[in-house]
Amino acid sequence: MTRRAVELPVLAPHDPVDHAAAAAAFNADVARTDWHDEALWFVRVKRDRAAAAVPEWEALRARASAIKEHALTHLDEYLVQFESNALANGMRVHWARDADEHNRIVHGILDRAGSQRLVKSKSMLTEECGLNPYLEARGIEVIDTDLGERIVQLRREGPSHIVLPAIHLKKEEVGDTFHEHLGTPAGLSDPTALAGAAREHLRERFLAADATLTGMNFAVAETGGFVVCTNEGNADLGMVLAPIHIASVGIEKIIPRVEDLAVFLRLLARSGTGQAVTVYSSHVHGPRSGQELHIVLVDNGRTKQLAREEFWTSLKCIRCGACMNTCPVYRRSGGHSYGFTVPGPIGSVLTPGLDLEKYAALPFASTLCGSCTAVCPVKIDLDGQLFRWRQRVVQAGHVSAAKSVAMKSSVRLFNHPRLFRLAGALARRGLRILPRPLARLAARPWARARELPAPPAQSFRAWYRKNRPGGDR
Amino acid sequence: MSAESVSARDAILAAVRAARPPSVARPESLRPVHQEESGLSRLDAFTAAATAAGATVTLAPRKDVPRFVASATEGAITLLSFAAGVTSTMSPHGDAHSLSALDVLVSESSLGVAENGAVWIATSDTVLRGALFLAARVVIVVREEDLVDDLHQAYERIDVRSHSFGVFVSGPSKTADIEQSLVIGAHGPKALTLVVVRADEPVNP
Repeated sequence: MTRRAVELPVLAPHDPVDHAAAAAAFNADVARTDWHDEALWFVRVKRDRAAAAVPEWEALRARASAIKEHALTHLDEYLVQFESNALANGMRVHWARDADEHNRIVHGILDRAGSQRLVKSKSMLTEECGLNPYLEARGIEVIDTDLGERIVQLRREGPSHIVLPAIHLKKEEVGDTFHEHLGTPAGLSDPTALAGAAREHLRERFLAADATLTGMNFAVAETGGFVVCTNEGNADLGMVLAPIHIASVGIEKIIPRVEDLAVFLRLLARSGTGQAVTVYSSHVHGPRSGQELHIVLVDNGRTKQLAREEFWTSLKCIRCGACMNTCPVYRRSGGHSYGFTVPGPIGSVLTPGLDLEKYAALPFASTLCGSCTAVCPVKIDLDGQLFRWRQRVVQAGHVSAAKSVAMKSSVRLFNHPRLFRLAGALARRGLRILPRPLARLAARPWARARELPAPPAQSFRAWYRKNRPGGDR
Repeated sequence: MSAESVSARDAILAAVRAARPPSVARPESLRPVHQEESGLSRLDAFTAAATAAGATVTLAPRKDVPRFVASATEGAITLLSFAAGVTSTMSPHGDAHSLSALDVLVSESSLGVAENGAVWIATSDTVLRGALFLAARVVIVVREEDLVDDLHQAYERIDVRSHSFGVFVSGPSKTADIEQSLVIGAHGPKALTLVVVRADEPVNP
């Protein structure tokens, strides 16, 4: 039997994501939450070491940000240039306005060729589009080949992290899953042995595949080629073996020039995993002889985000995952609590643009500490955007009545000095005379995981008047 | 291209044009000035980075390369070589599927990068491309004079359009997807040996 990591509420497609409830479920297992927190912090520390080893790190970040902003503010020109060069390289280019159109195009390519067995490497875009269930419903076998993605696919879960899809799982759980699906011995949980079993299982699938689908890390307008980065070599095995290669890409992944790759490849792996570079950075500038190579350029909400003055720079994201690894909320709530393919700070600034009501909770799943912004290799002001989305959420009325009343009361309180003084006096008195459990109840949810402070004898204002004669004006 | 996709293209481009934020200029120079030197020679930096990525690095004069490869790959039954002076034990036919049981690939690289230990291989040859990922073990020969400091210099030297495929390889294939435990040999090669060729010892004057 497969142990489930965490029982999460199952959401209907349009139910609002309740991040707090999902995080509370995740936090019910304290030891596991600590383990998850530490595993991600370890990756953050590796990132710090790698960044510190590059003296010009900050200059690289500034350049990466400027290249992306330049590319996004000339995106139509670069898309057209990319298309024409890709066509000249012998690739076929398709355009998809939304997830459904993307899925139909991919299925159409497979259907025309009679392909039945698709091997995929990591593509968050196809997760976002729901491609796997779409193809499976049409009789096509879809195998995710990135080890972490294969693990969650076998468990019928989504990835909980864009770079480390199975970071929420213990090796024993992976062992149970492999025992059930791959026939490894019961109780086997050694990562090397499990990865070896996955290698054999997936090598067979690679050899039998009649099509492969990859994402792209970067699409280069100047040359009509693209770059795919992996450590496992899974994207490459698919590309060298399958007669049909489909590469799906969000339109924001276009960069103008080859030389720009130096900047991005220097930042990507160091930010994501702390490696100097991924094991493979594969540059594709045409199909193999005899191979069909299709590119699907996907909008799916990206042009809407580009039009938002306050949020368009979120499209600079290169999907390194650094903002997740550093986020104190992500580390202690798990990727599934965000209810979207891309979790963490970047997910929380992308999702409200897709469906403000459904994802209204996510901009609040943050302490606004700004650690995400500090590590982002393309300098997205993530905490600023989270803060601005909160305002949009409140303006649209997608906030609970309790929170709305509380915020309005606070505004009244802070605007009226007499009321503020009275409230302070009542709170100090209440803390002194109320039994502690009752006081904690009154201060929920703040006091759920914290002890209430000892009440001060007087307010700061009273103390100031007493100790600084003439100070009160 | 179907009529539908033409209209999707036009619709997306029109939406981009309507959405375009005010123009931001390209940075004038991409290459940041080094603020400090690491103190390592290029070869030492390359060796350290490649070793950290899990590769084994060996220095050899050109004339010793065949002998070194022979001793390093002893016991290999199927060996495919694209390197001068090293003989293949098989001749692949057909496509990459026939390479799934390949023991060793020996290839040459035109460029190595000191900052990350990666070597560049560009090819339109399906067999070489397949073998890079299907061989159990890969040996890559690179000349010391072909090492560069960083990726900026690397992209100045290489032409990504010269072949349908080019790859920076840094270490053997690996994964840390199970509890962040590093496992060498995920889908591809389980070992990478880099042979850095030093100029042959000069003959006595």
